[in-house]
Amino acid sequence: MKLFQRSEFYLLVLIALICIFITSQNPNFLTLQNIYGVLRSASVNGIFAVGVLFVLILGGTPDVSFPAIAQVTQYVAVLALIAIGGGNIALAFAIAIVLGAVMGALNGIIIQVFRVTTIVVTIATFNLYFGMLYVLSRGDVLFEVPRPFHDFGGTLLFAREGANGAVYGLSLLPVLWLAVMIAGWFILRRTMLGRSIFAMGGDEVSAVRIGVNTFAVRLFVFAFVGALAGVAGIAHASLVLSAIPNSIVGVELEVIAAVVLGGASLFGGKGTVTGAMLGVLLFAILRNGLVLLNISSYWYDVTIGVAIILGMSANAWQQLRARRNQVHVAVEGEAPR
Amino acid sequence: MKPGQKSFLGRLSADAPLLFILIAMVVLMALLLPGRFLASYNLINLANQLPVLALLSIGMMVSMLSGGINLAIVAAANFTGIVTALTMNWLTGGAAATAGLPVILMSMAVGLAACMVIALLTGFLIAWLEIPPILATLGVMMLLDGLSIVMTRGYTLSGFPPFVIEIGNGSLLWAIPNAFVILVLVIVALHFVLNRSPFGFKLYMLGANPRAAEYSNIDTRIVLMKQYALSFLLAALTGFIMMGQFNSVKANYAESYVLVTVLACFLGGINPFGGDGRLSGIVLAAVILQTISSGVNLLGVDPFFVTAMWGAIILIVIAVSHVTGRYSVQTMIRALGLGRDRADAGSKTKE
Repeated sequence: MKLFQRSEFYLLVLIALICIFITSQNPNFLTLQNIYGVLRSASVNGIFAVGVLFVLILGGTPDVSFPAIAQVTQYVAVLALIAIGGGNIALAFAIAIVLGAVMGALNGIIIQVFRVTTIVVTIATFNLYFGMLYVLSRGDVLFEVPRPFHDFGGTLLFAREGANGAVYGLSLLPVLWLAVMIAGWFILRRTMLGRSIFAMGGDEVSAVRIGVNTFAVRLFVFAFVGALAGVAGIAHASLVLSAIPNSIVGVELEVIAAVVLGGASLFGGKGTVTGAMLGVLLFAILRNGLVLLNISSYWYDVTIGVAIILGMSANAWQQLRARRNQVHVAVEGEAPR
Repeated sequence: MKPGQKSFLGRLSADAPLLFILIAMVVLMALLLPGRFLASYNLINLANQLPVLALLSIGMMVSMLSGGINLAIVAAANFTGIVTALTMNWLTGGAAATAGLPVILMSMAVGLAACMVIALLTGFLIAWLEIPPILATLGVMMLLDGLSIVMTRGYTLSGFPPFVIEIGNGSLLWAIPNAFVILVLVIVALHFVLNRSPFGFKLYMLGANPRAAEYSNIDTRIVLMKQYALSFLLAALTGFIMMGQFNSVKANYAESYVLVTVLACFLGGINPFGGDGRLSGIVLAAVILQTISSGVNLLGVDPFFVTAMWGAIILIVIAVSHVTGRYSVQTMIRALGLGRDRADAGSKTKE
């Protein structure tokens, strides 16, 4: 596809324009310290976005249960580490990934067996997981997370001293995000499994005919989303250094919007990791820009809403024009488009 | 046969499971709460609480009939209430509670007009720019939530004149709440709009097969615009009722209802891909959900347990309808080739 026809290109232009505008108003935007901060705060949503991308490529409606899974795995992992009195961050990740994969796989099994659209099943499991977490935890907030979370969240790469004496550097969270993106890209673009996911998103019946094991692929995708939700849950706990039962839920629609702005189709079979990353970055930069421009945070939702509407409109307008200019030759036997 | 119209047998078999669930729920609640659930004050309470959920669910259903969705429905209700309240404050110089009838009606007209502008914007995005409805309405939802927060600075606005409170909380006909009367009137009106008017006919056709509708000389864009206008109109009406019931407006009231209305549509048998879904189904579904939440509330259970239970109920309904679906009257009719359309069977994934 030509570069200027891709939604990633438009998104990149949009991000560049916003960056130029913010920098012109407040030069602090383009400092290393601020960029590290933006990347750090975008990491949790960025990790979610890779999972959302997989579900959107698989086709059907989006998954909305991932924040609830992250919430549960985060809480359980923090409780487990408190119980054994320390442990290490790898153990927390292992617990969260396994638990998340199981919870996600349940979505996949229900969708495959009962043939119900993803959004309905995941609304159900969202309510189930989130409600049970609140009932069982009695809403107790874990203000004190064990040492390993502090260590993981506090480690800084390329650390240096800022002008005001504060030490800043690249947190491990964006590195984790990058690793997840590379893994996602590798699965989608370099493996048979990835081709099968795209094939199912394009046309599930055709995928069955060419021998794709739809159950195995769907099970993998939803287990993968759950596992990534677990990773994001631990990353979030390392970022905010507490486990609050309702601190993650509510991001689902924003993450889905970010991934779709990045060019993933709601009809399946289309989407890129780069696009998902740009979508998440756009929202993170907007949030950061409002702070730097001294605009009240009340305006955040308005800005995001306008960004979604403008981004989608530009994208849709460009597609409509492309369709109008296209000469369609009806091949015999082909359904009219 | 007209779309949406079915044989008597078909209609009965379609609503029977919902009626059965409703009766089972009422019996269960009556047994768990002897003398309390079926007490007249509780039934009046139920009738008072039902309209908000039911009107929002019907608004969601209307948007689903063409295969769309309206995620902005709750945001639009709050937005309408806030614009109305602010206009009332402005016209009375800050003393909204003393506003006279002309001022109240003028404020409500302004709120409704604001909501309709949003409806036109949403319809334009979906019908002309062909943005997927789930995304267009998501953007509009965030925009509306944001505007509501900016306009109120995150505060709650309260203190409305008696007329407004009467809409949500009063009762003119014996003990029947006004809100419930409004709901009944809306259901009757919508029955004619959806099942007896050319617009309703076109809407179902558009949902069943957009291309066929277009080739049948239906202006699909106009139908889509009207459809979202209707959906937002129901949201605005809900906004007025909520103003009266809470005697206040706020940006994020009843936010969780967005997903509950999607759940009501699913329970009510509305096909999310469009073209299929009955008003009776969605009304029954809303009554069931309200019965459960009121009953469980009376039982004094943790509200988050209710959240978990809603999830479990959807999963149970999915499982049960999957098992019984194979043997239902409708499936038999379809299997014998007597069904009204094959598009229906085609929209389901291959078994």
